[in-house]
Formats: sequence, C-alpha cells, structure tokens
Amino acid sequence: MKIKKIAGLLVLVLFTSCTKSFLEVNNDPNSVTDVPPKTLLPNTLVSMAIANSNELGRAAGLLMQYNANSNSASVAGAYDTWIISGFESQWDNEIYGGTLNNLNIIINKTQAQSPAYAGIAKLQFAYTVSMATDLFGDVPYSQAAAGFDNAGLIKYPQPVFDAQMDIYLGNTTKGIKSLFNLVREGLADISKPSVQRPTVDDLVYGGDMAKWTRFGNSLLLKFALQVSNKAPDTTKNVINDVLAGKPYIDDINGALDFKVPFTAANPNSYYLQDLGGSIPNTQMLSSRFLALERSLNDSLRLSKFYTKPAATFVGAENGSPFTPPPLVTRSTYGSYVLGPTLSGEAPVRLVTAFRNNFILAEAALRFGTTGNANTYFQNGIKASMKSAGLSDADVTAYFAANPAIVNLSGTPANQLMQVLMQKYVASVGNAIESYNDYRRTGIPSLPQPQTTAGDDPNNFPQRYAYPVTEGSSNPNQPNPRPKTSVKVWWAL
Amino acid sequence: MRLTTMLLLCVIMAAGKLTAQSRTLQGTVTDESGAPVTGASVSIKENKRGTTTAADGSFTLSAPAGSKTLVVSYVGKESQEITIGNTASFNVSLKAGGSKNLDEVVVTALGITKERRTLGYATQTVKGDAITDKGDGNLLNALQGKLAGADIVGSGGAAGASTSIILRGISSFTGNQSPIFVVDGIPVSDDVDESTIGLYTNQPANRTADLNVNDIESVNVLQGPAAAALYGSRASHGAIMITTKKGSGQKGVVNITYSSSYMMQKVYGFPELQNKYGQGANGVFSAISTNSFGPAFGSTASLANGLIVAPGNTQYVNGVLYTAGQTIPYKAYPDNIMSYFKTGTVFENNLMINSGDARNNYNIAIGNSRQNGILPNSQFNKTNIAFSASTYFTDKLSVKAGATYFSTVQDGITQGTNGTYSSYANAVRVPRSVDFEYYKNHYTTPTGYNNWFIPNIYNAAIQDSSSGGDNPYFAAYKNPIKSLLTRVLANISMGYDLRKWLNVSYRLGVDAYTEHRKRTIALGSAQVVRSAFTGTPGPTTGGIMEDVFTRNEISGDLIITAKKANVFVQGLNVNVLAGHSINQRKFQQINQTGYGLAVPNYYNITNASNLSLSNEYNSLRRVWGVYGQLSLAYNNYLFLEFTGRQDHSSTLPASKNAYFYPSVSAAFVLSDALKINSDLLSFAKLRASYAKVGEDAPPYALNNIYLSASDGNNVAAYAFPFGSTAGFGAASRLGNKELRPEFTNTLDFGVNLGLFKNKINIDATYYSSKSTDQIVSVAVPGSTGYQSKYANVGELTNKGFEITVTATPVRTKNFSWNISGNFSRNRNKVTYIAPGVTSFAYAGTSFSGLVPTVAVGEPFGIIRGAKWVTNAAGQRLVDSTTGQYANFLLDQTVINPNRDWIAGLTNTFTFKHFSFSFLVDYKKGGQFESFTVGVLRANGSLKVTEDRDQPHILPGVIDVGGGKYRPNNIQISGQSYYATALGSTTGTSASNEFAVFDATTFRVREFSVSYDLPGSLVNTKIFKNIKFTIYGRNLFFYAPNSLIDPELSTQGAATTTTGGLVRGLELISAPSTRNVGASIRVGF
Repeated sequence: MKIKKIAGLLVLVLFTSCTKSFLEVNNDPNSVTDVPPKTLLPNTLVSMAIANSNELGRAAGLLMQYNANSNSASVAGAYDTWIISGFESQWDNEIYGGTLNNLNIIINKTQAQSPAYAGIAKLQFAYTVSMATDLFGDVPYSQAAAGFDNAGLIKYPQPVFDAQMDIYLGNTTKGIKSLFNLVREGLADISKPSVQRPTVDDLVYGGDMAKWTRFGNSLLLKFALQVSNKAPDTTKNVINDVLAGKPYIDDINGALDFKVPFTAANPNSYYLQDLGGSIPNTQMLSSRFLALERSLNDSLRLSKFYTKPAATFVGAENGSPFTPPPLVTRSTYGSYVLGPTLSGEAPVRLVTAFRNNFILAEAALRFGTTGNANTYFQNGIKASMKSAGLSDADVTAYFAANPAIVNLSGTPANQLMQVLMQKYVASVGNAIESYNDYRRTGIPSLPQPQTTAGDDPNNFPQRYAYPVTEGSSNPNQPNPRPKTSVKVWWAL
Repeated sequence: MRLTTMLLLCVIMAAGKLTAQSRTLQGTVTDESGAPVTGASVSIKENKRGTTTAADGSFTLSAPAGSKTLVVSYVGKESQEITIGNTASFNVSLKAGGSKNLDEVVVTALGITKERRTLGYATQTVKGDAITDKGDGNLLNALQGKLAGADIVGSGGAAGASTSIILRGISSFTGNQSPIFVVDGIPVSDDVDESTIGLYTNQPANRTADLNVNDIESVNVLQGPAAAALYGSRASHGAIMITTKKGSGQKGVVNITYSSSYMMQKVYGFPELQNKYGQGANGVFSAISTNSFGPAFGSTASLANGLIVAPGNTQYVNGVLYTAGQTIPYKAYPDNIMSYFKTGTVFENNLMINSGDARNNYNIAIGNSRQNGILPNSQFNKTNIAFSASTYFTDKLSVKAGATYFSTVQDGITQGTNGTYSSYANAVRVPRSVDFEYYKNHYTTPTGYNNWFIPNIYNAAIQDSSSGGDNPYFAAYKNPIKSLLTRVLANISMGYDLRKWLNVSYRLGVDAYTEHRKRTIALGSAQVVRSAFTGTPGPTTGGIMEDVFTRNEISGDLIITAKKANVFVQGLNVNVLAGHSINQRKFQQINQTGYGLAVPNYYNITNASNLSLSNEYNSLRRVWGVYGQLSLAYNNYLFLEFTGRQDHSSTLPASKNAYFYPSVSAAFVLSDALKINSDLLSFAKLRASYAKVGEDAPPYALNNIYLSASDGNNVAAYAFPFGSTAGFGAASRLGNKELRPEFTNTLDFGVNLGLFKNKINIDATYYSSKSTDQIVSVAVPGSTGYQSKYANVGELTNKGFEITVTATPVRTKNFSWNISGNFSRNRNKVTYIAPGVTSFAYAGTSFSGLVPTVAVGEPFGIIRGAKWVTNAAGQRLVDSTTGQYANFLLDQTVINPNRDWIAGLTNTFTFKHFSFSFLVDYKKGGQFESFTVGVLRANGSLKVTEDRDQPHILPGVIDVGGGKYRPNNIQISGQSYYATALGSTTGTSASNEFAVFDATTFRVREFSVSYDLPGSLVNTKIFKNIKFTIYGRNLFFYAPNSLIDPELSTQGAATTTTGGLVRGLELISAPSTRNVGASIRVGF
C-alpha cells in the first residue's frame, strides 16, 4: 500500500511539473523591457556630459597642456606623451550607447505625440555627434544608433563611417542630414504642441523650452565656426542669421549656460578621475598653462581653476620623465572644476555665454559678422570670470589693471590670437573645445612635450585613434586606421 | 519531510537485516599466487546482482531463486563462470589474462552500469586509486594526463585556484564548455563564481574542487555526447560521472580506513630574472621607479646616475631616508620576488567507515584538508562529511540515499594584472634592487598606512604621492579576500521490481550551496582611495565588498526499465528504458559594497558610511524532458542501442521550446562472433555511434531590456539615481525572440583490441562532430548603440582521434609492470558564422587589446589583437625615423590556444609489497600570452634584458618606396628595445605579439612510491594493512619555447557570462608549484 502511495505521489510530482507554467519562468527579474522617456532623458544628459568630461576630455586637457601628467604609468601619462588611444568605453558606452542610442529611443517614442522631448533629443544628438566627429574624424552618423527595423533587427548592423564634411554640411545623394539641419529640426519640434513635457527629468533646464531654443541656436553658432576653414559662407550666413534676432545663450552672468549638474553624491568625471576613482592623482596643472596665466596677470581666476596648496602655484612640465612635485604641493583642478568643496559637485559646462561671445568675436574679426568684436571679446572674458566665481568688483579691477589684455589691438592676426587665447583660458574643464580651436586655428602655440610617443612622436595628434572594438566588428572602420597625426577635414 | 523520513528509514534498514527469499553465497577470490584479489567483480549472470571483493579477497552475495551462474572477473585476469548449484562457498583463483575490454563494468549515463564490451561509444574509467595520493586534491588536476581527449588546464598555483576541463575540444560558441558532472547519478555544479570585480580578485575555485577525492570509488568519462540522450543537453560536452565509495562488499564486516597525508608545495616555473641592473630608468637610479633599467650594480655612484642624492632632494630607499649629497647603497636582492612565495603545505585527514554487501550497505566518509598556499595569507580548507546507504525494504523495493555536507574555506589575496588592486602583480613588479625583506617587515608605517617604495599619498612624511598600489604584504595581510562555502549534496532513489523483468525507479537529487565572499580593504591602503562615495577628498577610506552566491539545483528522474532475454530468436536480449526528468537551476548573486570605514580594523558592513553599490542578480531555469532507450544484444557479441530525448526548456521562446534529439550506437565483438581465439588477437571489437544533442539558451536572452543607467568607465563610474531622479538606459546587449536550440552531431568510430592474451589492450576512437546554430552573444559595432546581441550563428567542427593503450609487459609472481598510455588529437574549426559574416568578437571579453574572436576557417578560441605591419615577405616594417616598428594592424590572430595533441603515459611497477608509479605527459602546441613575461621584460627584470649595454637593432626592414625594402640598421637603446619594442604594448594598443609563447610542454606530472604492509605479515589483527606512500607532482617540466610554465590560464574554469571560456591568457597568475608529500593509510 505504502508503495502505491509513493508511486502515486511521484506521478503527481511528474504531471504537475509538466504543466505549461512550469516553464514560464523566463521573465527577467533583473531588468525591465520598457521605460518612459522621462527616465531616459536624465541619463542622456549625464551621459553626454560624461562623454565630454571623462577620458575624451582628459586626453584633450593634457594635449592642450592645461594639465601635465603626474603619473607616467597612467593613461594621463600616455595622453601627455601623445598616445591618444584606448577610447573603446567612451565610444561604446558614452557616445553611442549611453547618449545617442537612448536619444534615438526618446525621439522614436515621442516624435508623434510629445515633440518637446524629440526636439531636445535632436539637439543633444547633434551636439554629441559633433563631439565624436571633431575628435575621431569620419564617424558613423547617418546610420548610427538608428534602432530597429520592422522585424526587430538592428536597422544598420554595420553603420557606415560618414565623411566629416557630410556630417557637418549634409549630403543629399547619400541621404545625410547636416548637423545644422538636425538642429533646425529639433528647434522646430520644440515649438510644437506636446502632450508630455520634461520637468524635473530635464536636469539642465527644468523643461524650459525657451532655454532649449537658445541652446539650439548656440549650437548653430558653434558648428558654423567649426567649419569656417572649409565653408566660410556657411559660417557667415548661419551666424548672421542667428544674430538677426534669434535668442542664444548670451547672459554673461551664466544663467542660460548649458551646464549638466553634478553633486557630491553623484560627482563629475573630473573628480572621479583625479580624486575619487580607482586611479587618482595622475595629473596636475601644466607649468605651460601656469606661465600663460601669469603672463595674463590672471592669478585670481587661476586660483578658481586650480588649487594652490602650497604658497604658490606648482605646475609640472608636459611629458616630463622626471618625478613630479610632491602631492601636497601640487596645483590640481580647483573649485571651478571640482566644486566649492572639491568633491565633484561642479557642473560640466558644455555650451556657455563666454564661449558664444568668443565665437562671435572671432566671427566678427574673420568674417565681419554682425556686432563689435571687442565687445564680444570683453563680454567673453567677463562671463568666464563670473562663471569662475569672481565678483563684479574683481572683474572691474582686472579690466582696469590690464587694458592691454582686455582690449583687442594690433593686426587682425594679433586680435584673433587675443580672442582665441582668452577662449583657451576660459575653457578650462572643457578642453575638447580648445582642442578643436587649436586644430582649426593653431592657437595657442603648444611646445612639444618633453617626451612624445604614440603613432607619430614628431607631430601633434590631430585626431583620436578609432576604438579597437568598433573595428573588430565593423568592417566600415578604416583599417589600418589613420594615424593620429592625420588631420580631420575642418582642420587648418 | 518525507525525504527525511526515507533517509532515516534507510539508515535503520542498512544496519538491519533483509527478508529476501534468497540464500547467501560467500567465498574468496585469489590470484595465481594465492594472494587475495581486492575489488574483483562477483556477480550472478542471471539477474546481474553483484558485489566486489573486499581487501582480503572475500565476498558475500545474496542469490535469489533462479541464480545459476556466478561470474567472477577482474581487470587483467581471465574471468570465470562457475555453476552455483547447491554450493554456498566458493574459492576462486583467477588466472592472468582476461580483458579489461571484455569484462569491466562501467558506469554509463544515469548511473546505469554496463559491461564495457556492450558499449558502442567511447568511455574511460579512472579508479579512485589513481587519483588519491597524487599530490593534488582537486579532482580535475588529479585527472591530468590520465584521460584521452581531455584538455585540463589550471590557473596557477594559488590555493584553490580553478581548473578547466574540455573534452574533445570546444563544441559550443557559448557559455560553459565544461562537461556535466554527475555524482552518484545527480548532476552537480562545477561552476566558478566570479566576484563583481573579477579581474582583481582571488582566483576562485571551480566547484568540483569541493569533492573529496578520497571518497571517490571511480570516475567514468563519456567524452562524446553519445550518452547524452539520457542526461539531456547538459551532457553535450561529455559527462564525468563520479561514483562515491559504497559498502565494503561483505555483509557484516565493517571496514574502517584512516588516512593522513602531508604535502609541501614550492614555486616552480617562474621566469628567470637578471641581477645586473637595479631600479631606475635610462641608466639613472630612481627610488620610485617600478623598472629595473637603472645603473648596473657596481657602478661608481655619481649625481648623473642618481646614486648620489641631488642637491635639494631626498630619496627614500629600502626604508632609509637619504639627503642631498649622500650615497645610496645599491645592490641586487636576487631573491626579492621569489621570497614573496612561501612553501605551501597541505595536511589532509580522512576517515572512512563502510559495511555491507551490494544490496545492503552504508558508507561514512569524513575528510578534512587544510592547505596553506604559496601566496602569503592564503589558504584553502575543505571539510566534508558524507553518509550514504542502500537497502532493500522488500525483495522488490530498494532504496538508496546519501547526503554530503561540504564546507570550503578559500582565503587569498588579490591577483591579476591591475597594479592598484593586485597584491600579487605588485610583488612581480618589484625592481631588482628593492629589499623586499624590509618591506615584508615594515608594510605599515608607524601611523598605520601602507608603506611602499611606490609613492603613497598617505605617507607624506616619507614619500610624495601618486597611486602605485599597495605594498604586496600590506595588501595580503590587511586586504584579504575570504570565502566560506557551505554546500549540501543529497540524493535519494527508490526502485521497485513490478515484475521480474520490469523495474520502476525514481531518483531525486539536490545540489545546493551558498558562498559568502568578503573582500576587505584596510584604512591606509591605496586600494580604495578617496571614494566617489565619501563626497570629500581626504585620506583613504577603507572598504568592504561582499558577494553572496546561492546556487541550487534540483533534478528528478523517473526511470522505467524492462528487460527480456531471448526475444523472437534465441540469444536476442532486449532492454528498454523510458524516462522522464525535471531539472531546475536557481542562482542568485547579491553584492554590497561599503566605503568609508569609521572604525579601523572593523570589517562589518555597518561600519561603512557609504553603501552605494549594491546589486542583485537572479536567474531561474527549468527543463523537463522525456527519453527512451532501446538496447539489443545478440549472443553477447552484437549490440545495438537507440536513444531519443525530447527536452522542453524555459529559456527558449514559449512556442518553440521543445526539441528532440536521437542517438544510435552499435558494437560488434568480432573475436567472439567469428570465434577468433588466437594468442595474438585475443579480443576485437568494432563500434560506431551517431548522436545528436540539443542545448538551450541562457536564461533571459529573448528580450531587449533597460537597466538603471551607469556611465563612465572603471576609473570614473557614475551611477543613477541622480538624487531622487531615476535614469534608465537601453542595455548594451540585445535579446532575440527567435532563438532556437543549438545542436551538436557526432559520429564516433572505434576499435578495441586485445593482443597477446590481452596483455596489450588498445582502444582507438575517431570522431567527427559538427555543432550548429550556436547561441552566442555576438559583438555588434558600438556605433549601433549596442554592443552585443544574442543570435543563432555558426557552425563548428571537431575532428580527432583518441588512443588508449594498456599493457602488462612483465608479470611474475612478485613483480609486475603495467603501462597505461593515452594520446589524443583534436582539430577544431569554425566553418560558418552567418551570411556575410566572417568573424565576430565575443562581447565584453576583450582585455588589453586582446579580443577573443570567432572567425571562419580558424579554430575556436583564438584571440585577436594588434600585430605589427609586415611586408609581403613577412618582415616587420621599421619606422625610418624612430627605429621602432612602424604601424600595426588590428584584428589579427595573435593567440591560438588549441593544442596539437596531448599524450600521457603512466608506468606502474609492483614488487611484492612495493609499488612505484610515474606519469609523464606531453602537450604539443597551443599558444598563450604571458603578461608576467611581458611585464618583467618591459620593466627590465627578465634575464634576457641583461643584454642592454650595447644598442639594439630591431629585426625588420625599412620601406624605401617603390616596393623596396632595406634591412633596418637604426640603433635603439636596450631599454627602448625591451621596454618599448618588445615591451608590454604594441604601438598604442595593448596586445603584444612578443609575449605570445608556444605552450609545448613535457612534464613529469606524477610520481609515487608506496609500501603496503598487510597485517598478516607482522602477525597482527589490529590492522588489516598499512600503506605508506611518498609522492611528488610536477617534479619537472620542459617547455622549450616559453619563458614561463605554460600551464597557466588565468581564467581557469571561469566563464564569462556571455563569452564562454577564454583560454590562452596568463594575466599574472600565481606560478605553478612543485609538490612533494607523503601519506599513510591504515585499514582496520
């Protein structure tokens, strides 16, 4: 009898196990299959800021000699000696994965009903693509992060590498939309009626569409100047068009600046690289930037940009093979970049009034665009100083004491140099912008680091090396890749 | 509850008596010399009941009504059939001869025992004797060299480090390549659980390391998938079936065995180092350099070579502060790296108690092993307690049950290449003039900080700053990783004979473990510096990282067997089996990271002020299947077997989750069928089999998902939420709703020969397998917005042959010589991926520019990376201005880890009570990249870098245009030659073709001498026998093309979640060891 009971039990076990629900356990408890756009937007904003400020920006900061390495065995040591590679994570996660792909998802989800989201996503998309092409040259754009076809497969499994010229200026035969037109599309979307609108999920502007419009127009100014060596007519027309009454980021008090916020609890990349991450203390103030700032009598602003733990600023030579100065004396990023408590609570400043003013100053000088170059120039300096935390009185005092520095004078070439030099100084933290300007104008002059290596130890890197991972799965990436000494399209 | 009750009943019954309608046969089995034969098989031909003889050769066997013939057999002896009649006591003398092939009983799938002669597919058996007292307590290491077709690779000499096994080459693009491990019929885990930060952790153990080899009766290996129908998809990479020890074989006799062993391990195979140059660069001394490119020892101290401290400067050298103008003492410390390794020890004790015959028996095994590893502060301790029993409740109802409790402690230090995190890597990088003894005794500063020659930011009084990682002793003693695993393996099975020819049985098994791993980082360590989570810059914060792994597997099998003799025609026996199985695997990993310890030396998570990184991962998968087997035997010389199985898996799309796969095998004993009975060819069997096996997908591979976002990289990581704002992003891996099961088809042909009265036995197999529709997480270009995607792609073939030879060249009354050899060769090739796709990279497995890649036409497992550009003649191009290599091409095959062939040879000599055996093996081919060599060469420590006085010229040519080249004649410095050109990086990407070595190795793997003293010899009954053994392991190796022991694959058995097993990378593994030990085994 007992045996039969046991056998009966077994049969029960068996047949209950064969029911359909037995196998219905494949719903992933570790993730979700859909999320609303308002949870994607904060991620894209932070991600684009990190793309700008993390390794890509750090490399530019060393190339542009704001910083010098203080640990030659670290990546900072590599960048400082012109080894400009290893950006797999930046390409995969920060640019295409974290930012562009999620932006495209937002656009697809919201284009029809809530174009406010789609519009700002397009502006972010244009900014991020410009950053990618400025650094890497030809990059995937028209087919990049383009989502899925109707069968649920990746629409472009091996995106083509679009020519930088086509990215900026468009190419109708190839169906490539210019970044200018992408921005214009975004601006149009912003002004349409929208069911959902961003609020607190818009970490930068809190859903203020007027400010996003200013951001979009500012992008047009930036892109216009970027192509000025190759398409001067575009430069002139686009800038004059914006200046004919369209709002852009122009408040010299910085209230309109496109700044992605960070906090001590969610600190910025500068802090994580230099202090909070797993490999800290790898870079410090470059003695070359220090010398420039001294020549500009700008030590007050410099004290916001960099710390002064000893009595005086202590810099290091770029590419130095020697022991760096002791940590306790080193000047490293200060309150402007790391925040008042140096804990990474400073924002990442992507598009600002000071840079717009310098853009307009340069455009006025070179192309005669609307406005007075010297006014723009001075507004740029003021905006930068205020952004750095100087008081109005400090600014006034500096202007009074340094008339030769704050007024454009001499040959057009000299005036241009003054503008770009101040733009360079103001761009501490966002060295990618300075790297773009340098390759576009050759200003400021950058002496070769004490030791150089990389693809071409004799020539300044004109681009970043393509990532290995993209190349191993995408035959459209040039192989062998261009050396880092090969110029990008818009370069001088 | 019911299970417990049953178990209790078993215990009672095991000690009790039985009430069968049968009588008891007993007797003794001896050899020609009259010595007792232990372990001989004694069975009743009619009903297959059987037992094995005890140490004194005795047996007791219950013979039910209808028993007519007693079959007695033993390896290397001629078997005998004896008519039972009315005899109750038998004294059987076995003659030499006989055939292993003929008579041996082997365990096949589901624990079904069969005579080897009936099998149509390849199988191998390793007895418990061959794996105990061989100098390694990890079962897989102990199998090294003993199995044809098995590639077993360890991950270094760290205590408990994992070992991987691959049978007949890799047959799947994905996941686990490991065969299924089955203990007493229950599938068990051989997983390797990687900590969250896998690369900088202790080398975790593979879970079969928990098993006690002393409690293993035998290991049966099915190399191919032929038997997989019965085990299901998890046996598609072969099966390793472990049978634990059972009753003594004799009713009423209690066998007690106590054994104790002690072993020592010394580092062996570390690269040779130079002692001519010390710390510094470009011939100039620097006290903070990790390079040994300083001045030569014996140089006159000067300001120029840095040995006189420059004005305004101070130098802190080996614990002494030197001020300006002082001369720094400068000499070699030849032992500084090697002194980091200790002599490892393993102390092991085992107690076995068992009793009973084949029907009613019990076994108790208690084992404890304590290993102190070669790395400081590392240990691997195992305790296990096992109990098993089987009994017949009635003549028809049998019950078997067993449970084993395991406790495994693995404490160790951080390893891997990352200098900031890895204790061991920092030890390897010590320059030749650093006094390690000083740093060993002073690893903390007076204020409790880490003291190291690489400047430490917390040690401002002595040093300046920077992140150089920890003093390796500080890291070892103050920042250890501790793991405690608790595991239970339990099984119960019941069988009932419905009819004489019909049996129903059910078997239920559980394998469950929880591992708690904890890594602590002391205040004062460079490892967790100013955490992202403390919010403020400042001193070191300390940290705690905890991982909890829980794995639980339940398997149930209902098996109905029917057998009938003389069906249709005389001599045709039929055996039918039908089964149903369920399997559930549950896994959970929870990890918690806390930074900012408030109280020093208090490592409780409540002491952390920031608990920001916690995570949880769960997975659950289920499979149920039905299967059947039809076996036909004709006149005991022709055997045919068909199997079929249909599985249903939870991981496949619901509408298409069922898949069927069949197998067929045949064996033909030529010598019996054709009545060949010559002394030359004593036995001949041909066999052939075809099998198809399906395998399901990983769990949760069907859908595209979103995850809470994190940005940045390993150096600067950012994680949402931002304050109270959530941030999500699309996961970088895409799912696939159309996934199908993958299949492997195998053809297997074999021949077994017994020559010269079976003194030589040969077993040869040729196989060819093809795996299709592989489920892979294929890398997709990052510019798509994703990084990988699950897909059914590809086709992979494995072809090869395996030969095992056993021979007894000499056998006299007092002396015998046995040889057992094996040879195997596998050729693996990826034949197809997808339309238009010729290669893809494994997602997420690339490391330092080395990208594990699958490419058409190449073997599986290759690693691609950068290679210097060459001209058409294969000469490397040199840059005419720098004298360095010009440029490199990405996506080139740099490493092929697959072996050409593997052979092992065991010789065993016995003389009276002495026995001597040794095992040598030879592994031909296979490549690996040694980061240890790369690092030591680039930092000027390796012996070859001694040659640096004269400038060097890189071999290569310079492009002079027009397709013409001239030989390179540009001189570069020795440092530039070793550190830059041959160094640890290729150009600006990190793979290094000069650190790739051929892994060909000849090795004296095992050696043992034993003396077995029977109690009778010294006229005592206190003990039955005492066996003394002295053994050695890895005593010698010869690897002509490598600067380091090639048997180091850092990943060991660890599989990445998506990429499967990555082989051929030595990422600064703890070196191999040479082991010597002794044991004593007393039988009562």
